[in-house]
Amino acid sequence: MREDLMDIICCPLDKHELDLEVIRRDDDEIMEGRLVCTECGEEYPVEDGIPNLLPPDMREESPA
Amino acid sequence: MCFSIVLWTAGRTQVQTVKGQEWYQEDDIAEEYEEKRFSRGGRLIDRREKQAVLDAIGPVEDRDVLEIACGTGRFTVMLAERGANVVGLDISGPMLQQGREKAQRAGVSENMDLMRGDAGRLPFPDDSFDSVIAMRFFHLADQPASFLSEMRRVSRNQVFFDTFNRFTTRSLYNWALPMGSRLYSRWEVSRLLDSAGLHLVDDDHDFAFPYGLYREIPNELASVFRDLDTTLISSPLGKRLASVSYWHTRVP
Repeated sequence: MREDLMDIICCPLDKHELDLEVIRRDDDEIMEGRLVCTECGEEYPVEDGIPNLLPPDMREESPA
Repeated sequence: MCFSIVLWTAGRTQVQTVKGQEWYQEDDIAEEYEEKRFSRGGRLIDRREKQAVLDAIGPVEDRDVLEIACGTGRFTVMLAERGANVVGLDISGPMLQQGREKAQRAGVSENMDLMRGDAGRLPFPDDSFDSVIAMRFFHLADQPASFLSEMRRVSRNQVFFDTFNRFTTRSLYNWALPMGSRLYSRWEVSRLLDSAGLHLVDDDHDFAFPYGLYREIPNELASVFRDLDTTLISSPLGKRLASVSYWHTRVP
C-alpha cells in the first residue's frame, strides 16, 4: 500500500477519515499496519501490502 | 405453478451465489484464474472485454478510475499502463496478491492501488472517481441494486459494467458452472439503472456463443467461431442472441 492512498480512502462504515499506523515498511510500500477510523475507532489491517477495508462483519475470524 | 418455479429459481440462485463467493476466494482459483479463463480461445474474450472498457472510458490518461471486483487486475493493470490513476477493489486477498505481483512486473505500482473491500459499502467518499467499472461482477452479485447505487455514489461521471443475459446460450451454460451465476434481462438492467439514478449512454451486445465454448477450443478454431459469432450478432435478430451486454452509463 502506498501512503498516497490515504487521500482517497475512508471508513467503509461511516465514511470518516482514517489514521494510518505503520508496523512494517518496505521502501515506500506499507506492508503491515493499521487504518483506524477517526470517528468510530474501527480498525482495518494492512496485510502483505494490501489494506483490508472489508467491514468487520465480512472479515475472516483469523487474519492471514 | 409458475409462481413456485420462480420461487424455486430464486432460492437456487441465492444458495449458489454464496457458494460462488467462497469458490472465488480459494487460493488455487486465484492462481489458476487467468490461465484457465484467458488462454486458448479465451484470449478472444479477453481482447473483446478490454476493448469494451477502453471504448467506454475513452482517453484514460490521468483519469481517476475505480474497478470493482478487479480480481487479478486484468483491467486495472491495463488502465494503469495507459496512464490512469486506478484503484482496484476486490473481496479476495489471494486474487489481489496476484494483481499486486502483476502490477510490479508491469512497473505500474506508482499509479495503481489495490485493496480488499465490500462492493456494498465502499471505503470512499462521494464523487471520488471519474469512472467506476465492474466487469464480470454482476453475475456473482447477490444485491445488484445496492452495489450499483454504491458505484454511482462514488462516481463523478461514469459507471460501466457488463451482464450475462437471460434467454440465451448463457442460460444453458449456466447449469454447468461450479459457481452460481445471475442472468439479467434488458428490462431488469433498465430497472436497476433507474433505481440507482443512472442514465444509459450506450449499450453493446456480443457473444452468441457462451464464453465456456471459447475457453475449451484451440485458438484457430476459436477464431472461426468468433467470425461466425460476429456475423450472427450483426444480423437483424443478432442482439437477442447475445449472451453478454455492456452498459455504459452516466451520473446525471
